[in-house]
Amino acid sequence: MNFPRFVVALALLACCLPGLAAEKALRVAVLNHSPPMSYTDEAGVLTGFNVEIMYALCDAMGVKCEPVPVTLERVVDAVAAGEFDFAAVSLLATPERRARVLMSKPYYRSISVWFARPGIAPGEGRAGVVRGGVQARHAQAQGWKAVQFGSHDEIATALLASTVDAALLPMATAVALQQDPRINPLGFAPTLLRDPQLAGDVCLGINPRMPELRARLNDAIDRIKRDGRFDRINSRFIPFRLQ
Amino acid sequence: MSKDDQRSAGRYILAADAVRRWPAGTVLAVLGSVFALVALSLVLLLAVDQRLVTDVAVRLHDETVPWTLERQRLARNLEELRLGGQRVLTAPDAAARNDALFLVRVLAAHPSMGEDPRTAALAAEVEGFLAQPSAQHPRAVDIKAWEAISARLRLLADDLSVEGGQRVSAELDRMSEAVEQTRYKLVLNLVLVGVFLASALFVLRRYLIQPLQRIHRVLSSLDARGPLPDLSSAPMAEIHAVEEAIVRFHATLRENEEVRLKLERLATTDGLTGLPNRRHFLGQAAEEMARALRYGRPITVGIADLDHFKQVNDRFGHAVGDHVLQRFASLVAETLRQTDRVGRYGGEEFAFIFPETTPAEALRLTGRLRQRLAETPPRLPDGSALPVTVSFGLADATGRDLEGSLAQADVALYQAKGGGRDRCVLASPDSGSAPQP
Repeated sequence: MNFPRFVVALALLACCLPGLAAEKALRVAVLNHSPPMSYTDEAGVLTGFNVEIMYALCDAMGVKCEPVPVTLERVVDAVAAGEFDFAAVSLLATPERRARVLMSKPYYRSISVWFARPGIAPGEGRAGVVRGGVQARHAQAQGWKAVQFGSHDEIATALLASTVDAALLPMATAVALQQDPRINPLGFAPTLLRDPQLAGDVCLGINPRMPELRARLNDAIDRIKRDGRFDRINSRFIPFRLQ
Repeated sequence: MSKDDQRSAGRYILAADAVRRWPAGTVLAVLGSVFALVALSLVLLLAVDQRLVTDVAVRLHDETVPWTLERQRLARNLEELRLGGQRVLTAPDAAARNDALFLVRVLAAHPSMGEDPRTAALAAEVEGFLAQPSAQHPRAVDIKAWEAISARLRLLADDLSVEGGQRVSAELDRMSEAVEQTRYKLVLNLVLVGVFLASALFVLRRYLIQPLQRIHRVLSSLDARGPLPDLSSAPMAEIHAVEEAIVRFHATLRENEEVRLKLERLATTDGLTGLPNRRHFLGQAAEEMARALRYGRPITVGIADLDHFKQVNDRFGHAVGDHVLQRFASLVAETLRQTDRVGRYGGEEFAFIFPETTPAEALRLTGRLRQRLAETPPRLPDGSALPVTVSFGLADATGRDLEGSLAQADVALYQAKGGGRDRCVLASPDSGSAPQP
C-alpha cells in the first residue's frame, strides 16, 4: 500500500469508527410490570432498579443500550438465542441458567418470600408465581397449587381479587408489595423461605457468544459499585442496601 | 649502552615478565560485566518491590475498596434494621407494624447479614425481640430493653463502617513500607553506581591515563646519552608493550649514539697522536678566528715541524718515529692551555692556534714547549734518550684570515728551519720574520 492510499484509508477509518460505534447500541432485555425492579412509571417511562442499573452499566462501558421489555419466561431463551446482548433482569444464577447463558458476577444476593393471607402457611392454598422464575419452578417441584402469571403486577391484581391466596416472590418485590397502599391494609403475612433454591446470587444474563461483554459488564459492575452510582439507584427504589 | 643500564633494563624486563598482564579490553569488559550484573540484580530487586506495590494497589482497588463499600452497606442495613425496629415499636396500627416487621425480617434474613457472626447474632436477637407478642404493646421495660439493643446496633454499625477504613489503611501502610524499601534500594543502587563509576575512573586513571602520562614524560625527555627511563611495570598489557618498546627504542638510540660518536672521533682525530686531524683543526681554527675577528681580540697561529724527523725514521724505524710523534703530541697536550688548539697538520707537522694571545705570548708558550721537549726527550726501546728538537713558525692572525696567517706561519717555519732549526720564528707583519733562538 503506498503512502497516500494509506492516509486516505486511515482518514476513512477515523471518520467512520465513531459512527459505527454510535450505531451499535446493545439490545438489553428488561422486564416490565415488576416494581420496584422494572416497571413503567406514571409518566410512561420504563424505569426501576434494574433498568437504571442497566443505564449506569452502559454509561460505564461507554456504549448505548436499548432496553427491550420481555417477559421473565422468555428472558433466558431469548438471550441464549442471541436475540439480546444481555438481560438486565435479576436472574438467580441457577445451574440450568448458567448452562444456557453467560452469567455476570453477582451484583446482589436475594432471598424469596412467601407472601400470603394470614393463616396460609407456605405450600398451602393457591400461590401466584411469575412464569419462568425460580419461584415458579420451586412451587412446581414442591407440588404446590401454583398459578402462573406473566408479571408481578398480575400477581398483585390476583391477590387483590383473591384469585390466589398467596404469592412466592423475590424479596425486593415482596417488600414493594408489602408497602403497596392497596395491599398493605389487607394484612398479608410474609414468611421468609430458607430453601437454597430460592436464594442466592443475582446476575445479569449475557449472550453466550459474547464472552468479552461479560468481562466488560463485570468491570462496569465494579465501577458503579465503587463510584456510588449503584447505591444511589439502590436508594431510589429499595428501602435497604442490596448486597 | 653501559653495563649498568643493560643490567637494569634486563632486570626490568625480567620483573615485568613475572607479573600477570591484562589486556585493557578484557579489563574493561570484566568491569563492565560486573557492573551490569550488579546493576541488573539491583534493578530486579527494585522490580520486586515495584511488583509488591502494584500488587497491593491492585488488591486495594479490586478487593479492599469493594469490601469496604460492602461493609458500609452492611452498616447502613444495620441502621435500617434499627429504624425498622423503632417503627415496629412505635407503629400506630397493626398494618404499619406488620409492614415494619416485614422489612426487619427481610433484613435479618438477608445472606449479607449472616456472613458476619456479630451481625447474624444481633439481627436474630432484634428479630426475636420484635416478633414477641409484647412488642405489640411495648411497656417501659420493653422500650428500655430495645434502647439497649438499639445502642448495640449503632455501635456495630460504627464498627463495620470503620473496619473498611482500617483495612485500607493497613494496606496503605504495607504499600508505604514497600515504597520506603524501594527508596532505600534506589539509594543503594545509586551509591553502587557511583562506587562503580568511581572505581572505573580510578582504574582508568591509575592503569591507563597515568601510565600514558608517564610514557609521554619519558618520551618527551628521552635522551640517547641519558640513563634508562624510569618505567614502572604496568599491569595493562598494552601499556606494558609500549613501555617495553620504549626500553628497546632507548637501547637502540644509545647504540646509534655510540656508533655516531665513534665515527665522529674517527673522522676528526688523528689515529696515531689522538690530536684533531688537519680538517678538524681547520674547522676549529676557523671558529676561533671568526670569534677573535668579531670581538677584535688578539689571536696567533703557528706551525711546528719536528727537526730531522726523516732521519729518525730512517735510523730507528717507523715505530720509534711514531713514538716520537706520540710523545710530542702528549707534551703539547700537557703544556698548552685549555683554550689553545692543536692539530696534526701533516707527517711531522703540527698546526696551532692561540686565541686571546699576542705573538709575544705565543712565542713564550712555544718556547716552553721546546724546552719541555729538550728536558724530557722521547726514549728509545733500550731506555736511552733520543734528543729531538722542533721548529716553530708563528704569525699574528689578529684581524686577518686563517689561510693567509697559516701561509705566513709556514714562511716563518721555513725561516726557522733555514736559521738552523730548534727555534721559534714570528713572521713579521710584512711577511718578514724575526727569528727567536
